[in-house]
Amino acid sequence: MTGPVLVAIVGGTILTVGPQGTIEKGAVLIRDGKIAAVGRDLLVPAGATVIDATGRYVMPGIIDCHSHTAIEESVNECSDSVTAEVRITDVIDHRDVNLYRELAGGVTTLNVLHGSCNTIGGQNAVIKLRWGKPPEELLFKDAPRGIKFALGENPKRSNFRAPGPPRYPATRMGVEAVLRESFQEAQAYKREWEEYEKKVKSLGSRGDKPIAPRKSLRLEELKDILDGKVYVHAHCYRADEILMLIRIAEEFSFKIRTFQHVLEGYKVASEIARHGAGASTFSDWWAYKMEAYDAIPYNAAIMAAHGVKVSMNSDSDELARRLYWEAAKAVKYGGVSEVEALKMVTLNPAWQLGIEQRVGSIEVGKDADIAIFSAHPFAPDARVEQTLVDGVVYFDRAKDVAARTAPATKAGGSP
Amino acid sequence: MRAPVVALVMLVPAMATAADVVAIRGGRIVTVSGPVIEKGTVVVSGGKITAVGAAVEVPAGATVIDASGQTVYPGLIDGLTTLGLTEIGSVAGSVDTTETGDVNPHAEAWIAVNPHSELLPVARANGITAALAAPAGGLISGQSALLRLAGSTPAALTVKTPVAMHMVYPTGRPAFDISRLFEEPELKTFEERQKDKKKSQEKDLKRLANLLEEAKAYGAAQAAAKAGRIPPPKPDLPMEALAPVARGEVPVVMRVDAEDDIRGAVKFAEEHGLKLIVAGGLDAWRVADLLKQKDVAVLASVERLPRRESDPYDAAYANPAALHRAGVRFAIVSDDASQSRNLPYEAAMARAYGLDAGAALRAITLSPAEIFGVGDRMGAITVGRDADLFVATGDIMDPRSGVTHVLVGGQEQSLETRHTRLYEEFKKRP
Repeated sequence: MTGPVLVAIVGGTILTVGPQGTIEKGAVLIRDGKIAAVGRDLLVPAGATVIDATGRYVMPGIIDCHSHTAIEESVNECSDSVTAEVRITDVIDHRDVNLYRELAGGVTTLNVLHGSCNTIGGQNAVIKLRWGKPPEELLFKDAPRGIKFALGENPKRSNFRAPGPPRYPATRMGVEAVLRESFQEAQAYKREWEEYEKKVKSLGSRGDKPIAPRKSLRLEELKDILDGKVYVHAHCYRADEILMLIRIAEEFSFKIRTFQHVLEGYKVASEIARHGAGASTFSDWWAYKMEAYDAIPYNAAIMAAHGVKVSMNSDSDELARRLYWEAAKAVKYGGVSEVEALKMVTLNPAWQLGIEQRVGSIEVGKDADIAIFSAHPFAPDARVEQTLVDGVVYFDRAKDVAARTAPATKAGGSP
Repeated sequence: MRAPVVALVMLVPAMATAADVVAIRGGRIVTVSGPVIEKGTVVVSGGKITAVGAAVEVPAGATVIDASGQTVYPGLIDGLTTLGLTEIGSVAGSVDTTETGDVNPHAEAWIAVNPHSELLPVARANGITAALAAPAGGLISGQSALLRLAGSTPAALTVKTPVAMHMVYPTGRPAFDISRLFEEPELKTFEERQKDKKKSQEKDLKRLANLLEEAKAYGAAQAAAKAGRIPPPKPDLPMEALAPVARGEVPVVMRVDAEDDIRGAVKFAEEHGLKLIVAGGLDAWRVADLLKQKDVAVLASVERLPRRESDPYDAAYANPAALHRAGVRFAIVSDDASQSRNLPYEAAMARAYGLDAGAALRAITLSPAEIFGVGDRMGAITVGRDADLFVATGDIMDPRSGVTHVLVGGQEQSLETRHTRLYEEFKKRP
């Protein structure tokens, strides 16, 4: 290839979700996958591929901070309540058609998490929806590492019976004890390694090398959590367990990056804000289990009012396709402003994943991850027309529709 | 049958409040059955709508609701729910949707409806004023009831029962069971699995056919006994419930998604003289012409993933538009309880994928009323219909719009819910 790859999206209303606010009849210029210019009267350079967005709305690609897409059958390593060593990056199925379906809902980045079977689950994978690329090319390069924790009914296995002997823990007391025990062990492991490294250093080139402590993949990960190298994404529901995890984290001097689901977060919003964690929640799911009975759709608004960075997530291959309306519900329930609501599916989840310098708003220098809607994304007839990742169109509704066979047959067809 | 008694009982509360006259003034009135009135008044009295129009006077002494700048809608009807039958999904003691065994035609939803469920006011606060409460599971799940979402006894809530006999079309595949996730998968070839599936499906259809034949015979015996020709048959609750279904008097709502299965259900219904309504109907767009030809209505759930990898990504979203184009009668339903409040957004999704706004609104108001045989009483704003209405700040299918007033049976309802109570309590917490 020679020269830069240029794309210009022209004529649409641009919801930048950044400092430039909303730009009517604006343009976004993309050079080599990055946003090169945003504004009203941009000169479209010769040779640029022009996307006409007249009458349409252009917003940053949607980020789903809680997904299990592309890891079917490998969501949970349930055999132990602590499995910090397992990695979602090892099991990504890039052929999962739900990746494409989510692109068709304007989604460009996913936080693919281990399930909630375990108190300390596995390591996450932040991916971009570069549909058609192999697993290693889906990974969001340089995104901070993350891990899943889970509290409450799921790790204590309240709602189903698994074969074999019961697994510890079975109460919220036990969940706390598992965390405490794990981090005490991790502290001891860390000390052991520090002492060993000190010894090695003091010996220099003199004498025999001391014997190294035994390496543990599990404790390495927990040690890295203690050292602040890994973002903790903690599945939780009830207020008491949220406070419990804050106590544990503060006692062991690490941070919770996000509380996930956090349906009773509104009851302890100030504590979450003080700890500095984000909150990634459902807009309005409730009553599907005991710990979801006090869930309220005002949760996002209350937490946001306390200064918590809030995102709306899906935890579902279907809901992920309409996160823009999940965001709109924050306007309805609790009167969040439209721009703050948009942030709940863009800039806020970007911050929660530590990638806010790269994605989450339409700003010069950021990745050109963009969703183009037929109407304002909160409007009742809004539909995604095109989705770009790194300036490349990965979803184009017109092309999708044109490619369908007609008339309807067993193999194809179209409603 | 107990049903007609219930239908009579529920008229009483409405009559008892006949003195209340309410006028909703100055709003944009979306009548559904006729043109939109840009600025008008709706008067309700005795639980019924008594006047609608641009030039309607507010009667002296009426309670006035100012709807200026707002929109007045007929109450939304959620055509398939478990409202009233479930409180907390995972807590068995709070769930009455699914009876033991798989043949329960005599299970009547209205009997187990909890009028004090926290889920009812939550749905109502977003404009849902009526819902079909239906039993679930098995082969014959039981009888549904059309509920009005206000009142303190099951009878007071019940507008009509039975509305339909609910069945699950046998797919030959075992139902999802979380404990099966831990089982070793059976090592069988695709062909073996297909054979098993077909065998199981045929067995269940045969059972269903036998039950219906038996019910027909039972009904005939009942009729003969009534005419004094034979002694009455031995009481049999399941047969008593199935007899009017076998005669084609009570419709069958058949839960069925796959194209082949929908075709199978249509054929089965035709063979046995059943009045069929399809529930779910994920593939209904593939057989829209057949459904039109056989006049089968569809209760469509919109926010679902496509069935096959090869299906268009928007198959479920665009399903209602395809049914509409083919002239199939359909309603859009939540097929849920706690998510019932999101019914207007399911309609919005159908709208985003090709259904016009008017048809989308009709699919959550007048169309379900018609499918359930109450189209003359509910689902639109016309004189003489039940006074189930609500006022919204804007387009109800817009997730940003709020609901400001809800009337059920002419009575203004509180918009307080479990959620607003917790909101009020905790928004003040520092």
